Amino acid sequence: MTLFRIAGKNIRKNFTDYFLYFASMIFSIVIYFTFVSLKYDNTIQSASDGSQKISSAFSGAAVVLIVFVAIFIWYSNSFFTRKRKKEVGLYSLLGVRKKQIGRMLFYENFLMGILALIVGISLGSVLSRFFVMILMKVMGYSVVANFSISPAAILNTFLVFMIITLITSVQGYRLIYRFKLIELFKADQEHEKEPKSSVLIALLSVILIGFGYWLALQNLVTSKAWATLGFMLTPLVILITVILGTYLLFNTLTVSLLKLSRKNKKSYWKGLNLIGTSQLLYRMKGNARTLTVIAVLSATTLTAVGTAYSLYYNNRLNAEMANPNSFTFIGVDGKTTAKADQAIGQAPGHKVLYHESVPVLEVDADISGLKQNAGSMEQTYSVIASRDFNRLAKLQGRDDFVSLEGSEAAVLDPAYMEGISPDYVGSTVKLQGKGINEAIRFKALKEYTVLNLGTVYSTIVVGDEMFAALQPKAQTTTIEAYGISRQDKAKELTKQLQSILPEKAELSSFYDQYARGMESSGLLMFMGGFLGLVFLAATGSIIYFKQLTEASSDKARYLILHKIGVKKREIRKSVAKQVLFIFALPLAFGIAHCAVALMALSKLMMTSLVVPVVSCMGIYVCIYLIYYFLTVHAYCKIVTNTK
Amino acid sequence: MKTILQAKHVNKTFGTKGNQYTALQNIDLSIEEGEFVGIMGPSGAGKSTLLNIFSTIDTPTSGEITIDGQNIVTMNEEKLSDFRRNKLGFIFQDYNLLDTLTVKENILLPLALSKVPAAEIEKRVEAIADTFGIRQILDKYPYHISGGQKQRAAASRAIVANPSLILADEPTGALDSKSATSLLESLSKLNQGNQATILMVTHDAYAASFCKRVIFINDGRLFRELHKDGLTRKEFFGRILEVLASLGGEHHDAV
Repeated sequence: MTLFRIAGKNIRKNFTDYFLYFASMIFSIVIYFTFVSLKYDNTIQSASDGSQKISSAFSGAAVVLIVFVAIFIWYSNSFFTRKRKKEVGLYSLLGVRKKQIGRMLFYENFLMGILALIVGISLGSVLSRFFVMILMKVMGYSVVANFSISPAAILNTFLVFMIITLITSVQGYRLIYRFKLIELFKADQEHEKEPKSSVLIALLSVILIGFGYWLALQNLVTSKAWATLGFMLTPLVILITVILGTYLLFNTLTVSLLKLSRKNKKSYWKGLNLIGTSQLLYRMKGNARTLTVIAVLSATTLTAVGTAYSLYYNNRLNAEMANPNSFTFIGVDGKTTAKADQAIGQAPGHKVLYHESVPVLEVDADISGLKQNAGSMEQTYSVIASRDFNRLAKLQGRDDFVSLEGSEAAVLDPAYMEGISPDYVGSTVKLQGKGINEAIRFKALKEYTVLNLGTVYSTIVVGDEMFAALQPKAQTTTIEAYGISRQDKAKELTKQLQSILPEKAELSSFYDQYARGMESSGLLMFMGGFLGLVFLAATGSIIYFKQLTEASSDKARYLILHKIGVKKREIRKSVAKQVLFIFALPLAFGIAHCAVALMALSKLMMTSLVVPVVSCMGIYVCIYLIYYFLTVHAYCKIVTNTK
Repeated sequence: MKTILQAKHVNKTFGTKGNQYTALQNIDLSIEEGEFVGIMGPSGAGKSTLLNIFSTIDTPTSGEITIDGQNIVTMNEEKLSDFRRNKLGFIFQDYNLLDTLTVKENILLPLALSKVPAAEIEKRVEAIADTFGIRQILDKYPYHISGGQKQRAAASRAIVANPSLILADEPTGALDSKSATSLLESLSKLNQGNQATILMVTHDAYAASFCKRVIFINDGRLFRELHKDGLTRKEFFGRILEVLASLGGEHHDAV
């Protein structure tokens, strides 16, 4: 019998053992292949105008995926070889030469790699079609169904995984050379030492995390810490302190806490708490690194997906904020304006909700009087009358109005940012121009506007009398503002208006910005979701593998417990508690880290991210829970199988 | 005197039809409270199978077994666990101590499982540690102590919950003669002082000579029974060797 055939037989006979490793390889290949075929796909490239953007985004994400997939396969490979150390030792003891064993392991691994590649690529071919449809959907394109498998994608995937398989196969070959025979046999019997804990380091871990959080939540503009460390360095400092803190926390604080709980004899000496606590205590230190990796990965995934989804989710809000009307344009000449009005009135599927013609003055102003004004000294304002403002605000569904007298004015600034924007209220600016020299005082600030930003300058509202006084002297234009129903579907109408109206009309539509936002944030969202799902599946699998390794080395312990009369139900309960601890700890910290990061982001973006972020976390926790139950089930099955 | 264990017509066969192997055949046995019974026999005679059945870890093919008035053959898995926990104590050849727990925690485990209050646990562990002379190693972990100490710790765990019956499977199998003697003396003391009922499986005539009664089985059947009665331990040891000799071969290791 040749070595090659022994290797093949090995795989067939121990398929269940191999299955986990095999499955994780297939999983990685399917994911990677799907991703690359999206990258090479014509449908997507031609559907988007910014194909350069999409292609480079995909390339970047593909690199992240390769690194990740390589780590993941390496991890499951080492889990798998650890399980087989004894078998390899036995071959060696029976007198098979090291070289032969090495070659056998190499063939075995290589065979599995090829098999996984074939299965993975075939599965991926089916799945990528499905993913293209999802991608088109979230990007707001109508689905095109003629998606084909590209040979380039197959070649790319094949090369990448061939290299990874070669590396793991060589690793397998070296297994027999790396360890002494005695080590191979004792793989499972190494005595576990009781871990030590230091109060000082435990305290340090809390301080580190606290400091990182504190730094992240500072106001960027006013914080002294950010100013001293610099804007490039501070995020790095935050990252390092939080990750280090998390590691030390898992490493020592949990050990200290478990030791403390052991002191409380009343609860510790109750049923299987004795077993659960001591098991955790012993495993904690060895698990600290894995738990940290999982906490950081969870935090990264949640933050990335949360951010992407927030952008996607807030796209409508942003478009509405900048474009409170479905369309606004300047009435340049009566003919085109009438034509546009007709087009809007007759557009199929849309109803005109309102139409207003608003007189707007273009006035230059000396703004040196603005407090905290870092920019220029002069600015052009679009000035509207307070009665027009009040009418538009009401039409746009805002329960708000201004009443202005004399030289009082209100400023409309939807991009207002406290600390960065000028401190309007109470400031005075001078309106200047031919025959105009009027000092006005800002009485109110509205953090929204009533005219689409693309059509007008920064807008200020003045009292009706002041407006009447200014009107004859300033350049006056009439702005046509429309509100229509189903404005997010107005693709055709927008195109039509663009062709009717001259450039000077400065047409600004809700749909245009909305669609552009959907395209870019949809892509981000898809990529975030895709990578997030991969990371989630991988983190779940890493804990799953880890727990199952522990389960098989704990088997003897649970057998003893079974013999001295512990019920299966009790063992199940104790296992569930133990596994929960391992699962919940990194998740809790992942969520906490993510929450802080997104709080900082939300401050920066000035939008509430609660809804999108909480829904992301909800989904994440749900999938994570599925992994938890799977793990508990598999763990129990291993340790309660007494026959 | 109360009967602790009563076995009637116990049979055990392994394998499927056509390829059957009879491990136990029509075993009748009864053990009274306060007895110290040894079970001996050559390898493959069915000693371990019998003990596994009494331990409720294995079930007989047919027959009836009552321990402390309860029929263990008809019990379900849940009840069996409770039964093992409350009525039986185990001493295994390979100790079966949990290496993540200290000696003390190992000993108190059965009490913790039965939800005995912490103060009571403390008292009972101390008392038992004195009986077996392991007070000074209570806070050590199993891998820090010797085989003899491990076995005394395991024995302490077996009796800490005051079980109706203590089952010992080759408890001296892995011990040197000095440790073995000290363990056997402790068991003997426990049997005489506390009226503990002990059933010990051994192939070592020296260990068996500490018992009050020794039952020999061969080829799955009861072969003979010896009572110590008035004999000294040495005389009893001689009698046991005679029986073993009549069982034939394979017993050079008995001396």
